[in-house]
Amino acid sequence: MKKIVKSFYDYLDERLHLEDLVHFMGKKYVPVHAHSIWYYFGGVSLFFFIVQVTTGILLLFYYKAGPDLAFESIQYIMSKVQFGWLIRSIHGWAANLFILSAVIHMFSVYFEKAYRKPRELTWISGMLMLFLGMGFGFSGYLLPWNELSFFATKVGSDIAGAVPIVGESMKILMRGGPDVTGATLSRLFGFHVALFPGIFTVVLGIHLLLIQRQGISEPMHFEHLEQKEKKTMPFFPNFLLRDLLLWLVMLNLLAILAVFFPAELGHKADAFGSAPAGIKPEWYFLFMFQSLKYLPAHIIFIEGEVLGILLFGAAFALWLIVPFWDRKSARGEKNRLITYLGIFAIMFIIVLTILGWVA
Amino acid sequence: MKNIIFFTFTFFLLNGFSFLNGKAPESSDQCFVCHEQLGGVADLFKKDIHFQKGISCAGCHGGDSKTDDMDKAMSKSAGFLGIPKGDDISLRCANCHAKKEMMQKYGSHLPTNQLELLKASVHGKLSTTGKEKIVQCITCHNAHGIVSVKSPASPVYPLNIPNTCGKCHSNAKFMQTYNPSLAVDQVAKYRTSVHGMLNAKGDPKPAECASCHGSHGIRATADTKSQVYALNIPETCSKCHSDAEYMAGYKIPTDQYAKYAISVHGKALLEKHDVGAPACNSCHGNHGATPPGVESISKVCGSCHALNADLFSSSPHKQAFDKEKLPECETCHSNHAIMPATKAMLGVSKEAVCSKCHTESKSTKGYFVAQKMRSYVDSLDASEALALKLINEAEQKGMEISETKFKLRDAHQAKLEARTMVHSFNEEKFKEVVVGKGLAVTTASISEAKEAVDNYFFRRYGLMVSVLIISVLSFALYLYIKQIEKKQASKIS
Amino acid sequence: MSDLDSNQNRRSFLKYLLSTSIVGFLASVLYPVISYLNPPKQNEVEVSSVLAGKISDFEKDSGKIIRFGNKPVIVIRTEKDEFKALSAVCTHLDCTVQYKKELGLIWCACHNGKYDLTGKNVSGPPPRPLEVYKINKQGENIFVSKKA
Repeated sequence: MKKIVKSFYDYLDERLHLEDLVHFMGKKYVPVHAHSIWYYFGGVSLFFFIVQVTTGILLLFYYKAGPDLAFESIQYIMSKVQFGWLIRSIHGWAANLFILSAVIHMFSVYFEKAYRKPRELTWISGMLMLFLGMGFGFSGYLLPWNELSFFATKVGSDIAGAVPIVGESMKILMRGGPDVTGATLSRLFGFHVALFPGIFTVVLGIHLLLIQRQGISEPMHFEHLEQKEKKTMPFFPNFLLRDLLLWLVMLNLLAILAVFFPAELGHKADAFGSAPAGIKPEWYFLFMFQSLKYLPAHIIFIEGEVLGILLFGAAFALWLIVPFWDRKSARGEKNRLITYLGIFAIMFIIVLTILGWVA
Repeated sequence: MKNIIFFTFTFFLLNGFSFLNGKAPESSDQCFVCHEQLGGVADLFKKDIHFQKGISCAGCHGGDSKTDDMDKAMSKSAGFLGIPKGDDISLRCANCHAKKEMMQKYGSHLPTNQLELLKASVHGKLSTTGKEKIVQCITCHNAHGIVSVKSPASPVYPLNIPNTCGKCHSNAKFMQTYNPSLAVDQVAKYRTSVHGMLNAKGDPKPAECASCHGSHGIRATADTKSQVYALNIPETCSKCHSDAEYMAGYKIPTDQYAKYAISVHGKALLEKHDVGAPACNSCHGNHGATPPGVESISKVCGSCHALNADLFSSSPHKQAFDKEKLPECETCHSNHAIMPATKAMLGVSKEAVCSKCHTESKSTKGYFVAQKMRSYVDSLDASEALALKLINEAEQKGMEISETKFKLRDAHQAKLEARTMVHSFNEEKFKEVVVGKGLAVTTASISEAKEAVDNYFFRRYGLMVSVLIISVLSFALYLYIKQIEKKQASKIS
Repeated sequence: MSDLDSNQNRRSFLKYLLSTSIVGFLASVLYPVISYLNPPKQNEVEVSSVLAGKISDFEKDSGKIIRFGNKPVIVIRTEKDEFKALSAVCTHLDCTVQYKKELGLIWCACHNGKYDLTGKNVSGPPPRPLEVYKINKQGENIFVSKKA
């Protein structure tokens, strides 16, 4: 057995020079310090992404996009296909957990200021993936074609339509017409299973390549330490195995969630039916949705909603380019403003999400 | 020459004025002068409203009425037409009657669309000979003795209309040539109706043929524009019956239409356009319109609600109702405002109709039977609701439950059958349907749905196994990491 | 010696545990995935055709209710040995209709609604005719399908 493995390895090594790669990985170290735990969330996000790709492909075998068949095919998956309920529920849960772990990953990088030079591009690619993840969530939400998803999509795209100048054409582009119809379903289906995964894979490749090339970011206080005072752990196998261990725990968590809180079917969407009470977007959109609700109809001369959207847009843009305007961290100095902004953002998101949840 | 011109001028002037004044230019109507001596038609024409308005024979027949030379007067060159034939007759009338200015000249404000309406009507469209339409103006209005519709002498005066229409419509031989399937008993039936009897007594207000069918624009009953097309009947009847002022002398209510419109029948007909639903005439008859008598109500309702009527007739209520002279269906369901029958009608609560008679003290048995019957329905309802809830729950959890859902249809059927069976007023028979059929299905559905939900929880055992395996693997991996790190530590040291 | 031995033992036990639990793990992941890929018996999302039974299952001049998706369909073998399939849901209040031999009609027990064998509502409260389904004979088998 061992011989076969060895000869196979040799065969590959001869052609691909695997030795270099192993050597490279063996040289890679992960800093060990009080906040090391946060390093794992990138890997956890990757795990959920892999789960999403796998279960997504499995769902594709039975799912049929189209207003006449989408709901029925989901019903079919849930009741007729063996373990269909499990695959769908895992897909639903992993989607949520992916966003959650990606957000945690993002904030940990933010507070550690790990985005500072030379890792600006890693930050940007990561943020892009987070936005894409939200796009996945939004487009995937409509696919079961039930009442809730139908109206949530309607409301969601309406909000996008409120953006000045480009909003209306964005809304039409998103809906594939002036209204949410079967055309929207095919369109979002296309986004969900082809366009977004394609872009995501490329960005993910860049993100991982950058990490491998630049190594794992050290916390700022490491810069003042002597080389031997820096505690580290080899990336391979120590960190990778720990990563795998965490992945297993997450898989367990997914299975438990999927069995105890399975995805529900709801009732088939009816374009002419009245919206069910309490239409809410997915939880990660909730804080935005809720803040828009609190804005008055008119602020000075523009609509409250429009102002809110513009403010959120500006905030996201600022957040996206934080490596470029946070000069202090880039110089290795402490920047408290960034930390306070981050804390404010987290508080804001948590409070409004809770408010939106109980509303 | 000058004299002649002057004479002609003054003649025209005078003639023209008298024309406008509407006075009969007797002396100048030479047709009349001669024909009066012949008698007959001219005598009739004397009473004619057209004669009184100063219209000469020539108005309809053409020719020159100013000359006493017969050859000249009735020559083609003078425009003499003779006796108009076929469709020309109505066209002659329309020559004036379709022209507003012309009618105003004679001080008349009559409508001017009669020919138009007639042409669109069944009488103006159909023909028996192929040459002319069935009805011309003179068919109903007469030719020479035409008097105002308001005059009792007119054949189209309300009291005379039935006979006028009956001239053709009661003539089986005539009707055969044109519409063999049409009944010819309308006038006879009409004479038995309340309308017809009052009409015969000389009251012009109650409905006659034209009140419902229209006068000039009469359309076939199957024509959706007809006033007596099924969907239009309630409104047609309500024209008089909802008019409190018009109905003042007759001492009957005027809220039938309002009540009917909110009833189960009215909604089916007026809102859903279900022409199978009864309109006024379905219960009251059309030509022989009469309120059904107490003893005939169940037969009238039973013509559609046959099962209910049968059950009722063999129920103990039949005798009791007969004895008390209670109208059968109406006592519980009312007449015009018949509401959809719900279980609220059954039982001993305030809204229930049973409690109108069956109070606890008066006739105790009926009271308890009603109470029991209601409790059966209540338990079926509750059981069905539970079954639906459980099926929905199982469905939402992705369990295959369509067979049970399909079966539960029978509970709905049992509920509807119970609505019929209640008319037997027999506890056993009612129980057989509600409990034997309905409750049996719902109980079975409930247990099947519960089983499905239980099966769903069975998944947790499978989960337990896989969680265990993954946990063991995680633990092994953890130990493996520890082992490696121990090795690494020992290597470094 | 004993220390080394126990270390060795522990290591081999760990190896054993690791390899068996990896196999178990693979099984517990692959089993659902493979069962998922195994096509279910009803391999269409929507019912388009249903086997009503064999010709011999139907007596002459009788009707039988079959399940078509979630709807009942009445399959009638007429006196003249023709097969007819119609929706069995009464258009009045959704009761299930039945074939009435004495009348040669489709009859609804709830309110005495009657339909002829082409589905036309001929008497009683039903406002509309019954929907007609298609009959296909394949050898001895009778299939019912929706009319296109």
